[in-house]
Amino acid sequence: MDTTDFRVLREVEEFLFHEADLADSHRFDEWLALWTADARYWVPSNEEDIDPSRHISVIYDDFKKLDERMFRLKGRHAHAQAPRSRLARTVSNVRLADFDAERGGTVSSRLVLAEVRLDRQTLWMGKVRHTLVRTGGGFKMKEKWVYLINNDTPMTNLTFIV
Amino acid sequence: MPQQRDHAAGAGAGQGQDIPALVQEGRVHSSIYTDPAIFELEMQRIFYRTWVYIGHTSEVPVEGDFRVRRIGRQPVILARGGDGTVRVLMNRCRHRGSVVCEKESGRTKYFRCWFHGWVYDTTGKLVEVTGREAYGPDFRQDRMGLTPAPRMDEYRGFVFASLTPEGESLRDHLAHAAEMLDFMIDASPTGEIAVDAGVHKTIYKGNWKLVGMDGYHPNFVHASVISVWQRDADSGMGATHREDPFDDKALSRTRDLGNGHCMLDMRQQRMKNYPEYEAFMRKVPGGEEYMRTMIARHGEQRGRLLVALAGDPHVGIFPNMQLINNQIRIINPVSPGESEVQMYAVRLGGVSDAMNETRLRQHESFYGPAGFGSPDDAEIFERVQRGMQCSVDPWIELSRGMGRETVDADGTIVGLITDEVTQRGQARRWRELMTQPA
Repeated sequence: MDTTDFRVLREVEEFLFHEADLADSHRFDEWLALWTADARYWVPSNEEDIDPSRHISVIYDDFKKLDERMFRLKGRHAHAQAPRSRLARTVSNVRLADFDAERGGTVSSRLVLAEVRLDRQTLWMGKVRHTLVRTGGGFKMKEKWVYLINNDTPMTNLTFIV
Repeated sequence: MPQQRDHAAGAGAGQGQDIPALVQEGRVHSSIYTDPAIFELEMQRIFYRTWVYIGHTSEVPVEGDFRVRRIGRQPVILARGGDGTVRVLMNRCRHRGSVVCEKESGRTKYFRCWFHGWVYDTTGKLVEVTGREAYGPDFRQDRMGLTPAPRMDEYRGFVFASLTPEGESLRDHLAHAAEMLDFMIDASPTGEIAVDAGVHKTIYKGNWKLVGMDGYHPNFVHASVISVWQRDADSGMGATHREDPFDDKALSRTRDLGNGHCMLDMRQQRMKNYPEYEAFMRKVPGGEEYMRTMIARHGEQRGRLLVALAGDPHVGIFPNMQLINNQIRIINPVSPGESEVQMYAVRLGGVSDAMNETRLRQHESFYGPAGFGSPDDAEIFERVQRGMQCSVDPWIELSRGMGRETVDADGTIVGLITDEVTQRGQARRWRELMTQPA
């Protein structure tokens, strides 16, 4: 890896860490502002590789749905987030794949997310893939795909940003 | 009623002797949701006795296809055998009791027990016993196949099983609810559904009976979703929920169909708002053709009703099944204070891919662990379960609308949408089954 690649990797990592921080802190508007208008936020259900046109996902949001999701969570009646989950996530194993320093590209990582809510602790784990686009104001997310390795087991509420 | 007596009703209820006292007209004792001994009795007298929904035949379309399911806590396999017949087999090796199918679904020629290598085919027949010569002449291999559920029957592809060899037929059990199941199947112009679009599995710390049919809760539990629909009436399930169907001024009704089956009867409400739904469907590719085909096939009246209902009878089939919106829901009790809800999304045969995809997106918008609706239901169930630990004044009030319910000509009981007609119907059936001697 030459120094240019290293600099891009660090820049991408900083973006992912920033995104993780906004998600952990329930900073919904700032998190939503990270997305492009043709957003796709995708958490498949049951398997890693599904065809969303024929199979349900846990989340399969375009920008409009994502906006509705944030609107709902910001309101006073999202009971499953009253009180809110306390979250701390680690984003690691960050690798650039098919990534252009000027335009952006695909980044893969691993997620370990600890959730504490009321008297319950839950561990969420998975593989993540971001598609980032370079804009004038830094990177934006065009796609975020999260394969939770427990997506075929009975799940508790997942009403925060994963 | 003095609190002392209330207290006494819960004490010692586990043996079942106090069951009638726990379920009274208009109120039930919270121990039916919290008492481990009552839960055990529910397994014996409800789940291991009456008809329990297992799955849909479209989940096992090809010979050798299987799905593992549960009857109460007992593991079973829904399998289409090599002979093409769908069976419900107990998932237990006849030798030393191990499950023989540990994958959730798949296609196979054999179920193999890896404890000692016994092999069964997909009809359940025991085809191989390792070291066969060690068994004497009394060992009848032909009688040692996987045990089928004592009774199995299907209605329009919905497979049910019962662990008792005798009892009322499935048709008698379903009674008035059968025609409600039709509404989901007949939403397809070809009368076919495919239960092959995945499942949302959720778990909550609450009793299984809390998943009821309740028309009173949406404006409170789902206030956040309703505020989303107020921004865009076509958003998600909003497309089928016009003009607040959960207001007592609406034409929607609660209906007790008998045998514990009950529904939120949206038929008149949806028909009143048909023009809005029709306009929505016109925007879905293939929607116009769909509506034309449905009316050509079923006539103006039923065709429009089927379109308006959108395959959603909103019915609960006691004890473990619900058909809500675009899903078949299975409720699995785990313990008095823990339950699983599995939501199987449905695809309709004979409609455009775009229409099915729209329906899957509508489902996701409300249901599943990250939906806008289900998590709040689960949250409230957990709050109820915690609150019910208070035993000083232990009654659950279910009398809403008792003074204004009516009985239709077919014997079904009808109330306004917020009335607790449905809860009373379920409680009545629960009491009936729980007090039947073994």
